[in-house]
Amino acid sequence: MSMAEGPEGGGSEDRPRPHHNDRAGARARILGKVRDAITKRRREPHPGHFGGWRDQAPEDPVEQFIRLFKAAGGEVCRFDLRESASEWVRNFIGDYATVSLGTIARREAQHGARAVRIEHTDPADAEVGVSMAYGAVAETGSLIMIPQDGRRAQLLPPVHVVWVEERTVFPMLIDAMAALAKELPSAVGLHSGPSKSADIGQILVKGVHGPGRLIAVLVDDKGVQW
Amino acid sequence: MSFTGPGRYREESAKMLRDKPEMRHSVTQATRTFDDHRTHAFGQVDGERWRDWARDVKTHLLSNLDIYLEQAEESLERNGAHVHWAETGADALAILEKIVEDNDVKRVVKAKSMLSEELAINAHLESLGVSVFETDLGEYIIQLLGEPPSHIVGPAIHRSLDDCRRLFHEHFGTPLDAEPDALAAAARIALRQEFLAADLGISGGNFLAADTGTVALIENEGNIRLSTSLPRIHVAFVGIEKLVPTLGDVAGFVQLTTRSATGQPIGNYVSLIQGPRREDEPDGPEEVHVVLVDNGRTNLLADDTAWEALRCVRCGACLNICPVYRQTGGHAYGWPYSGPIGAIIAPGLLGLEKAMPLPHASSLCGACVDVCPVRIPIPEILVHWRERAVEEGLVPLAETVGLKAYTAAAERPVVFGAAGAALRYAPLELGGRALPILSGWMQERSAPKPSPKSFMQLWKEGLE
Repeated sequence: MSMAEGPEGGGSEDRPRPHHNDRAGARARILGKVRDAITKRRREPHPGHFGGWRDQAPEDPVEQFIRLFKAAGGEVCRFDLRESASEWVRNFIGDYATVSLGTIARREAQHGARAVRIEHTDPADAEVGVSMAYGAVAETGSLIMIPQDGRRAQLLPPVHVVWVEERTVFPMLIDAMAALAKELPSAVGLHSGPSKSADIGQILVKGVHGPGRLIAVLVDDKGVQW
Repeated sequence: MSFTGPGRYREESAKMLRDKPEMRHSVTQATRTFDDHRTHAFGQVDGERWRDWARDVKTHLLSNLDIYLEQAEESLERNGAHVHWAETGADALAILEKIVEDNDVKRVVKAKSMLSEELAINAHLESLGVSVFETDLGEYIIQLLGEPPSHIVGPAIHRSLDDCRRLFHEHFGTPLDAEPDALAAAARIALRQEFLAADLGISGGNFLAADTGTVALIENEGNIRLSTSLPRIHVAFVGIEKLVPTLGDVAGFVQLTTRSATGQPIGNYVSLIQGPRREDEPDGPEEVHVVLVDNGRTNLLADDTAWEALRCVRCGACLNICPVYRQTGGHAYGWPYSGPIGAIIAPGLLGLEKAMPLPHASSLCGACVDVCPVRIPIPEILVHWRERAVEEGLVPLAETVGLKAYTAAAERPVVFGAAGAALRYAPLELGGRALPILSGWMQERSAPKPSPKSFMQLWKEGLE
């Protein structure tokens, strides 16, 4: 079928333009054209789930996450004890004058069992942001960031520290999607390394718009949750 | 400077090669890097299986597109997003204009989106008195230069580091020998203010999962996350072919697309957007609009050969490998989608007459089909459009005879290979007589001596 003899017998430009809020009309015309186009063809089956097929033997998910996250420029600090991880975070952010805490971290800092006094700065003015990840993905080396914790703290400060529990490392992205799909928030961000660009002369620069440093604090504590 | 239209392809590509030899160097360097990274990334996985899977999901999607469009609409509305349907580019702009007017929008930040280039959104917003800032670093560079993008993934690859140094020196006073880090920092400072001040953020959509109503966006800089998180309103323009059935399918497609585009296992940032912020979320847009855009896509869908082009994920791999694109860069193609994919979708989106001569902007070497992650038979579709152009009287008859023979041979790889081999080894003393198959345009040239190696052999060995 050629353009000249389109499904409705003439290009859309031949019809008078609908007024700009003719939503129902536009919807019906698009769906009608789609149906006209595919009606003569077979409805093909879906091939099934993506299997992430690889030639190599499967890797330990935590090791794979660390390897890929580092390869993309991320930094990883791994702790066996929640307490030592907390202490490391406190020391790390102590070097900065302004700190922005995600909602979950802020609640912990103010009311948690190990409450500490940290002054919270708006993410737009903070030098470092601290967030909690929903989990991580081994297959892609990604941290899963959810909006309940505050998106601005995840994006605006030049340094981003992310707390992630090892038990929440999903082997494959599709596993993480399946878990998220049960109660999807308004927006999920997968962060797999510091912000980067090669748009200037194909030379890699970091920290273009998002954080130039991304640090995963990976905690493998079987004890109480933070 | 804006797009010149495909009709000037021959003049523009000649002009590019004559007047801007350095551009060719930048483009060749960038596309080779992209392609090396892609080759490496696909070497780590069972790439053939990934590509079969992706082809089959998109084929399933397209053959059931009516059902999935309705499902996507329902899911998005359930999430609290507004869904709009735009039959044409003008309709899409009218929808945006209404949102802008209703909300008294003055400042817009924009994520990189090829569909927004297709719709010429920036010019329209500016005509409404709205300030619009491209926030992807490459897009920002070309916005400052007043140029359109020249590549689907790397919009400014035709510009060198020195070009950027001069540009930033003029705009921000950075030194003429500033390093890329310093240039990026200047852009970061300028654009950070715009992110914080903008009323509305515009994005495209790499994928739209019908089951969850998720707009998926892939990027490296964080500008898309910022554009879709900070302003009060987010508007996503999504081509109707961008749907996938499920969020699980998105898991495969984001990986396939980035491996194919830049060789990364995944983009630094992937946004999965369902709708406006909820009560338990401290920030995020209050309004999310998703504009489903046809603008000629149903024309492609109706074509029994060219519909396969709608599987495209816009990774740019076919541009990176294309010997024609590498020489001319993207601007000569005269519209936003350049390279092999641009040449096969132009007749659907613009109409065949307006798309001419892009289906001829190819040597039909087939390198593109070898790298396409969704296995679009690009050479076959190019030949299809050439034949259609002949039928519609858009091409001089003399060029058509050889084409038919070419088609017959090219559709049978063994014959094609044998024909090439025959030419390479055949005695060349034709006594000035043109090869019969090439009569017409052979009269003013002598037959070139066939190379001892085939083009595809040389290309694989790294010929430029």
